[in-house]
Amino acid sequence: MGKKKQEMAQVYNGTSNEFIFGEQGGKGKNLSSFLKNLSLTGSSTLSHSSSARDSVEETNSQIYGSLGYANSTSSLNSSGNLFNPKRPTNTQRTVSVGSGLPHTSTGLGSGFPERMTPVSGGSGGKISPYSSHKQSQPRRSRSMSRYTDLDDDWDADLQEVSSPKKELTKLDTEESSRTSLNAQTSPMLDSLYPDLMLPSGNGVSAASKPPKESLDFEDMQTKMEINKLNLLNSKYAKFRKVLTSDNNINLQDLRKLAWNGIPNELRAVSWLLLLGYLPTNKSRQSSTLKRKRQEYLEGLDSVTIEFHDDPPDNESTTSLSNANRDKMLYHQIKIDVKRTNPTLKLYSYTATQMSLRKILYLWAVRHPASGYVQGINDLCTPFYQIFLNNYIWQLQRKQQLLQRQHKSNNSSTGSLPEDDDMDLYIPGYLASEEEDDPEELKLLQDPQLPQYTLDNFDTSWLSPRITAIIEADTYWCLSRLLENITDNYIHEQPGIIRQVNELRNLISKIDHELIKHFDSEGVEFIQFSFRWMNCLLMRELPIQLIIRMWDTYLSETPLGFNTFHTYVCAAFLIKFSGDLKAKDFQEILLFLQNPPTSRWKEKDVELMLSEAFIWQSLYKNASAHLR
Amino acid sequence: MSYPTPATSVKLVLLGEAAVGKSSLVLRFVSNDFQENKEPTIGAAFLTQKCTIGERTIKYEIWDTAGQERFASLAPMYYRNAQAAIVVYDITKPASFIKARHWVKELHEQAAKDITIALVGNKYDLVQDDDEGQGEREGVRKVSVEEGQNLAAEEGLLFYETSAKTSYNVNDVFIGIGNKIPEAASLASSPEQNNNEGRIDLSTNASSNGNRNLCSC
Repeated sequence: MGKKKQEMAQVYNGTSNEFIFGEQGGKGKNLSSFLKNLSLTGSSTLSHSSSARDSVEETNSQIYGSLGYANSTSSLNSSGNLFNPKRPTNTQRTVSVGSGLPHTSTGLGSGFPERMTPVSGGSGGKISPYSSHKQSQPRRSRSMSRYTDLDDDWDADLQEVSSPKKELTKLDTEESSRTSLNAQTSPMLDSLYPDLMLPSGNGVSAASKPPKESLDFEDMQTKMEINKLNLLNSKYAKFRKVLTSDNNINLQDLRKLAWNGIPNELRAVSWLLLLGYLPTNKSRQSSTLKRKRQEYLEGLDSVTIEFHDDPPDNESTTSLSNANRDKMLYHQIKIDVKRTNPTLKLYSYTATQMSLRKILYLWAVRHPASGYVQGINDLCTPFYQIFLNNYIWQLQRKQQLLQRQHKSNNSSTGSLPEDDDMDLYIPGYLASEEEDDPEELKLLQDPQLPQYTLDNFDTSWLSPRITAIIEADTYWCLSRLLENITDNYIHEQPGIIRQVNELRNLISKIDHELIKHFDSEGVEFIQFSFRWMNCLLMRELPIQLIIRMWDTYLSETPLGFNTFHTYVCAAFLIKFSGDLKAKDFQEILLFLQNPPTSRWKEKDVELMLSEAFIWQSLYKNASAHLR
Repeated sequence: MSYPTPATSVKLVLLGEAAVGKSSLVLRFVSNDFQENKEPTIGAAFLTQKCTIGERTIKYEIWDTAGQERFASLAPMYYRNAQAAIVVYDITKPASFIKARHWVKELHEQAAKDITIALVGNKYDLVQDDDEGQGEREGVRKVSVEEGQNLAAEEGLLFYETSAKTSYNVNDVFIGIGNKIPEAASLASSPEQNNNEGRIDLSTNASSNGNRNLCSC
């Protein structure tokens, strides 16, 4: 891990050969030097080209093809693994996109928000390198006047490609800019990674070759769709392989995969592994979980408070006796749980609230140095959600099996068919034959079961058995997470203060103009970013996207909830840099308290994570001399 | 109404124990809205609202702080430059009244000498009799009106009992503070106001969901 990052940092830190663009552009000095560094890697592609041929790489490219920037790159071809920055080979491609940015915008500040605009189509499959290129011309020539493009061949290629089918699609400037970026990157990739072309030949290599007459746009679109589905499948298969291939799960492999997002079905088990709660050795998994779940229940038993719904409110005694302090703590947790994710139905059920209360209360009394701090209530919800989701998934699988068995019993006698994916289940969720769980039986007989999701599942249907298991797993995962950020919640919250300062430092390097603007308006970082640190951006982004972000956080070593999160916050802030620079003090604060993220998609978050990764690679160990 | 004089900016901070209804009071004042289960405030939230009182237009720049003890170390940052403060407690929670007392003390010791402070007992709706009568439900109220009044009198504070839920008395708090803010203070803040006039106008236009003339009277 660390080694990979170092390699990457070295790639960035080379000192010569600016082959993509010249000196003129860029808004800030920091920015241009940053981009200059990025452009270097274009030259180092050669040295790594051989490693691109290994099969892991190829699968990766299939998996990541539909993600992130892939809006522009998936039409390029499977080189979507652009955004697996963990590998040296990907590094170059990450970087080549980064370095392409100045062609399409005048700087990071204005460029980022622009690129955030949701693109219709989503999959990116609808953008054709041929068709859109014509539209991208004006933009391109504009940027050409700002930057010296030193690679003549590209233009020659592009001219040729642009001539046919210029009338095909209507693309907005945003899309054309992506595509022009795309078209610029592809020749390099084409020549260096011929093996990365998908066999389906979905027109991706076209940017550097004369267009093939047989390809028309709609045909290509269909192929793209199919390709996208295949990618999802292969992503699942890839995880499946890592999770089932050996008696000892290879955590490194899992980390690498998880960085780019975990399939829904496999998220819970992957998180358990990444957090170090579930042993990688399969023979130890069941017993460990059993012990930890038992420990959780014993913990609850040892607690003096009674978790009934409405404890009598005899607060009139205000002595600070221990019993009273516990009561006040429980009261605080109770009212906060009631207002946790108030817009989501799942959190309005008494059963959900009761579970969260127990988890939070036990954590608080076990960690007196910090105790319960508001925000921790938010942090336990992703865990609760994914474990519940996993149980629903397991139930659905089991129901399918039972139905299949029922059918086969009609024709011949047979035992319960084995589930191929048994290995992917978290042990203990489904009741064993010895365990009596009438609620689970009822759910398995429910014809509605296949339709249940987190949006329509009522947690009061859960049996006490599975409720305790979900609570215990949530509790232990929350504990693991908080272990990494304990100083965020102790007296005076030094961890948060440090992160806020680091964020300011980072922004002053990455976007000096923004800092100057904030300073002149009197905006202080603590005024808006305190919450970003205290709740890990959970108040700023929809929970599904937070869960996606945690896939990446959990695959960082050390876990990304601390340092890496600061870089993510930097990327988040810079997304809005252009907007913010046009605002005054009050507008800035009002904007940042309610940032326009409600329509964000996974790809937006993935872009942000990639940017964060790049900045971490650039600045993490270099802070001393850059300061 | 005749031409209003240029708005006077008043920096106001809300303090008080967790879950007494600070954010709900502000939400009622700024947006004339109420949310049953509002997420706890983390750090502090910033809001603005204009209020016309007689001849004067006051623009409140409000810092709504988080109530939990752990965040208390942030509070000085917000009350340091404040011209007004609202200290909120929950009239059904005696502990929150004790906390309010502490905040008043801290403000007198640490904040600006001429700060205008209002003491507000919130959640009046909880003690109100269901049938809109004058009476109160028995046993719900835990802090008497007299206790609140006495503290206010001792410390020289404005005093109100409010309900953010029913909006009872909420605007009166802000009008009361506006009236008590000395003219001298608003004059003193005028030059700064002029310097920043452009940016303040912009922001008032930009925030759309506030009921701007809410408390014109």
